[in-house]
Amino acid sequence: MLDILSLLDITFFLLAALGALVGIIFGAIPGMTATMAVAVCLPLTYALGLHHGLALLLGLYVGGISGGMVPAVLLNIPGTPSSITTTFDGYPMAQKGEGERALRVCVVASVVGGLISAIVLFLFAPILAEFSIKFSYVEKFLIILLALTVIASMSSNMLVGIFSGVLGIWLSLIGTYSISDGGNGKTRLMFDFLEPYLFEGFSLLPVLIGIFGIATILLEAEKGVKSGLSGKTINIGKGGGFSFSLFKGRATNLVRSSFIGTFVGMLPGVGGSAASVLAYTQEKNLSRDSSEMGKGAPQGLIASESANNALTGGALIPLLSLGIPGDSTTAVLIGAFTLQGIQVGPLFIPENADTWYVMMTALVFANIVMFFLMFYAIKHIAKVVLVPKYILYPLIVMMCVVGAYAINYGIMFDVWTLLIFGVLGYLIQKVGLEVAPLIIGFILGSQAEVYFVKSLESFGTFAIFFTKSPIAMVLWGLIAASVAFSVVMGLKSRARRRGEES
Amino acid sequence: MSMPNIYKTLGTSVLMAGMAFGSSVAMAADGPLRGNVRVVIGSTSTGGDTYQNSNIVVDALAEHLDLNMKVDAVGATAAFRALDRDARGNTLMIFHDQSYLGHLYGVEGYDNIFEKYTIGPTVAINPGNAYLVPKDSPYENLNQIIEAVGNGETVRVAIQPGGVSEIGFSALKNAISIEHPGMEDNLVAVNTGSQADKNQQLFDGQADLINGTVQANEQYTRLPEDDQKAMRFVWLTARNSTIQQAPEDGLGKTSREELLEFVEPNVNVTMGDENFTFDKEFFFLYNKDMDPAIVDQIDDALTEIYAEGDIQDVQKNSFFIPNFKPSDEAAEYLENKRAVYEDIITNIQ
Repeated sequence: MLDILSLLDITFFLLAALGALVGIIFGAIPGMTATMAVAVCLPLTYALGLHHGLALLLGLYVGGISGGMVPAVLLNIPGTPSSITTTFDGYPMAQKGEGERALRVCVVASVVGGLISAIVLFLFAPILAEFSIKFSYVEKFLIILLALTVIASMSSNMLVGIFSGVLGIWLSLIGTYSISDGGNGKTRLMFDFLEPYLFEGFSLLPVLIGIFGIATILLEAEKGVKSGLSGKTINIGKGGGFSFSLFKGRATNLVRSSFIGTFVGMLPGVGGSAASVLAYTQEKNLSRDSSEMGKGAPQGLIASESANNALTGGALIPLLSLGIPGDSTTAVLIGAFTLQGIQVGPLFIPENADTWYVMMTALVFANIVMFFLMFYAIKHIAKVVLVPKYILYPLIVMMCVVGAYAINYGIMFDVWTLLIFGVLGYLIQKVGLEVAPLIIGFILGSQAEVYFVKSLESFGTFAIFFTKSPIAMVLWGLIAASVAFSVVMGLKSRARRRGEES
Repeated sequence: MSMPNIYKTLGTSVLMAGMAFGSSVAMAADGPLRGNVRVVIGSTSTGGDTYQNSNIVVDALAEHLDLNMKVDAVGATAAFRALDRDARGNTLMIFHDQSYLGHLYGVEGYDNIFEKYTIGPTVAINPGNAYLVPKDSPYENLNQIIEAVGNGETVRVAIQPGGVSEIGFSALKNAISIEHPGMEDNLVAVNTGSQADKNQQLFDGQADLINGTVQANEQYTRLPEDDQKAMRFVWLTARNSTIQQAPEDGLGKTSREELLEFVEPNVNVTMGDENFTFDKEFFFLYNKDMDPAIVDQIDDALTEIYAEGDIQDVQKNSFFIPNFKPSDEAAEYLENKRAVYEDIITNIQ
């Protein structure tokens, strides 16, 4: 034990804190992600040594995931893909002048999610890893399908919503079914002359920033920038109207979403965005009153942010107990071990107890630092909206362009993607389609395809989706419940509208 | 907050972001290679062997040439494209045998590297390409698998198609067609993606044999037999002489002696006259129009680095086998290597 304490020097904690801070900045800039932050700083682990390097990288990871909430709430741009569901309620709140309150809810939810997942990681990693390998292609497909059912429940008009979702899936299939996923590597759904650009399809992040950020700016531009200050309605009272009583009666949501985040995080290949989407769906389906969700309800923020921070601990479970990264950031993080010549696999924890305890300390500490940094910085951060729009928006466009260009290390087509989807995002709102289902379809579509095709290739029959395992049956139960709930809610709201009209 | 304060806050943020990204431009005092050099690699993974080995080599090279060099894990297609665009020498590429195997297997995005690029020096071998079965598999060794397939049993092999992961499978199929003509179709490829997917196929009982690596799978081979995740090596594709050069302790808790049990002459995969072996080799690729003086400069620098001898220790510590060959030698060597694998792939089609 003393050995471990000797590894935890002041530099260790400073690095974890610095990581959290830089991570938050990366996460908060549209187009910069936790994954990029970790990738940029990875070579530093050479100089820092494994334990100090891990402190920095885990700080970046936690900070990067958390920072995504800032532009999501204030600007309607998800800073990272996993904060997409934060925009659904965060931005409406910011528009109502409750940006600061929304951010504080997010920060509290984030730290709770992060800490719950760290505890789960610490206590149950090997057991959960054992459980996670029970999820074959079939179960993973069903998880994605369950997340896709959110499309039905979050649309204001179900048919339009489903159509938008299907459109999103269609867009995600442009490109190739990559040979590195076991596909045939042939391009499809495009003209020949587009092959050099669209070989790997549209990149996720430029699409996200375009459809949210650029489209929002276009819609604002259409209104004309008359009022110099957008923030005069913002509530800059003490604490911005936040109090912990907002969490009263939300404990179930908080804990459930944290567990969903941890759980989705530990399934390799299912990915971060599915975690917050799934937590959001479940809150929508299970909460007693979810009618305000999507219009600026703190409960949506709680679900989204606790789940996406819980992802951090979850994604480390398969990394440390199977040697398999749970998400894109841990896939980069594994490099820290490889560069130091340390194997990660099923025997990592028993054979590297010191490193394991050091990582847990860094993870918990980074979460706490993130909380204090953000909770107290928020009242300054929230004032971003006080910057006149004619200064703010050009800056955002510039950051979006730089981010899009940088995301795949300098591909100009990603900047065009940003523009195309910015205009598309603007147009689809004009013709009455729904953005949220479309983007969820886009994010989950390609994974759904891979797992669907692989399930059929492996088992050779459609029946396998129903008969594979008890887990599959439980998932079908959840899918059925989710769909049924959406239909009932849809009918109810239509009846209510009719009632109001008559 | 007053407006000037906002600008101050914004300014500080920009400054910090600048510090996070900022890098000074280093200029070499002499030599044709100047400025910042970006080394793209054919893999997107920073946890993989290409990234690890490229970092070792590029770090040594950057220090020796006093240049600012950085490895970027951009993936094969993006790396080739980046290389196509830059004839100045500020973009170099490091990749392995996948670069020509992808073309032999007809994967989109792969051209004939020997025509389209200049082949640079080889730097190292990863001797870890392996095939594994579940620990409780009925097959004791690879010979039993070849026999079983020859007797009409179906054996499913999980691989990632189109390259390094497939070449061992192709060789095995070729060996079966030589020893048991007509029976090779009983060896079935299960096309999957990452190592995680291949392992999962084994856990699910959807594959009888998987491609893996010593590095990624060694810990799984040390699990107790009743563990669903436990595996056993049956074949390492590397040459016996390659494994002989590995550190005596091997990797993890599997010694060099134990690893040698899984290479020729203990395991034989015939190609007719001789046995098939495959060493996964890393080498540089350059833009065809790049100044030949840069080719020489890098050759000379690496010759000196390898003569000093420190890099070999670093590589061996990370389970790589140092294997420096200057550009000309490397190009001829790799072309011959390709011809052998081309025969195998044509034979089984």
